Amino acid sequence: MIRIFFLLTGFIAFSAPGAWCDETFKLPKALPREVYGNIMINRTSTKNGMLPVVFSHWQHRTKYTCRVCHAELDFNMKTNTTEIREVANRQGKFCGACHNGKISFKLNGNCDKCHSGDIDYKSENYSEFAKKNFPRTSFGDGINWVEALKSGVIAPKNFLKTESRDIPFEKNLVLEAGWAGISPVLFSHKIHMQWLECSNCHPDIFNIKKKTTAHFSMSYIIKGQFCGACHLTVAFPINDCKRCHPGILRN
Amino acid sequence: MKVVWTIFLLVCITGIAFAANDGSMKKRAKPYEYGMVTINNYSVKGGFAPVVFDHWNHRDKFTCRLCHVDIGFAMKGGATLIKANDNIRGYFCGACHNGMMKYGDKKVFAACSKKVTKEDKLRCKKCHADTVNSKKDDEFDSFAERLPKGRHGNGIDWEKAQEQGLIKPADTLEGVSIKRESLDSQKDFSLPTKVKGMPEIIFSHRKHTVWNGCEVCHPDLFVSMKRGGTKYSMVEIFEGKFCGACHTSVAFPLTDCQRCHSKPPQ
Repeated sequence: MIRIFFLLTGFIAFSAPGAWCDETFKLPKALPREVYGNIMINRTSTKNGMLPVVFSHWQHRTKYTCRVCHAELDFNMKTNTTEIREVANRQGKFCGACHNGKISFKLNGNCDKCHSGDIDYKSENYSEFAKKNFPRTSFGDGINWVEALKSGVIAPKNFLKTESRDIPFEKNLVLEAGWAGISPVLFSHKIHMQWLECSNCHPDIFNIKKKTTAHFSMSYIIKGQFCGACHLTVAFPINDCKRCHPGILRN
Repeated sequence: MKVVWTIFLLVCITGIAFAANDGSMKKRAKPYEYGMVTINNYSVKGGFAPVVFDHWNHRDKFTCRLCHVDIGFAMKGGATLIKANDNIRGYFCGACHNGMMKYGDKKVFAACSKKVTKEDKLRCKKCHADTVNSKKDDEFDSFAERLPKGRHGNGIDWEKAQEQGLIKPADTLEGVSIKRESLDSQKDFSLPTKVKGMPEIIFSHRKHTVWNGCEVCHPDLFVSMKRGGTKYSMVEIFEGKFCGACHTSVAFPLTDCQRCHSKPPQ
């Protein structure tokens, strides 16, 4: 009996960390700058004889903060889970909240602008756009959006119709890293709240119940959970280690 | 030996428990879905589709208290164990849905009946909705259009709608409610928070009693009448206890943090 027990624990001890390390270092493929944060939406497009929609985050982020679409307009945080339909857009929901000919281009006659089916669509626009005086980073789409907001290069709106009453909660968290020698994460509520509202992360992504970082190790983040919900494909990517672990020696 | 196995099992179980908190966004209810309750105690067993109840299209007409106190609906979906016969005798849904009551100039359709004719079957489907009503989305939109916008949940600020007189929910029902003297409500007060820097909660009895009287919350949800006497945490609220009894699924949701945490830290 004891032998079985030791065999089992041994198996777990040796196999699990191996698999874990593999996953920890398997970062998503680095994308060209102009494509980072672009998502292809194809829930019903091809079924209805249209090309998939390509949405670019960089283009929209200059005008609106994340919360406008992901809280006020009810866009989910996972591609293809929001039931965006043409009817809904025409009623002024989802994309139609702005794309109505008043705030931005109208739907009629502009199908191809969204239904391009090409993740690279109008990437030349990006090179033109990126010439602006943006603070730079060498990761993701190459723009340091937090700095851009801070320095006023961009001034995205925080709401469309329903103003959010912000909680003045500026608590900084020091999150200890799981590995020895890795500096702790300095998490700023203030910086996140410039873009997001509480409900974008709480209580779904970060349960307030567990007051520990033990349950959100990098192995989960890399799978798109916890910080990875945004910081893999949309917000600055996690290979920019230093931005969260500022004490780390080199990237 | 047993101890070793227990420890081993415990390690496994904790592992699974941690894995279950997956740190990703759950699907949130659409505005017309928020506050929808599916009741299926006896429906399917009796050959009917489950009952789908919407709070939004009852709330503009009646207060919470009327159904949850005077008529006696429990606060948990499926806990009331409503039978067709109860409705026929004028209890629960049958208190209004009796085929006689009028709301404005419209007759309120009758709930269950003993004999079911072909025509009745269409009526059954009004509550025993076996297919998703594809028009509900639109019905909700035209309903919500005239009301002040709110964040999350139904996307309607019900409190404002009532204050502005855009909706006038009735608090009593003839033949069911018994007239009672109203009590003076306490002044608004603030409740301290545990996390430093988190704004305090301003709780208003006045705002709550419009909809709930005293009886919806006391003594079941909040036993103590003394301020601060009932101890609870945000975690318990998220689990549907205390404030969470209404504010997780029916009244404006907890994700609208600022609506309660409204007193800036001193």
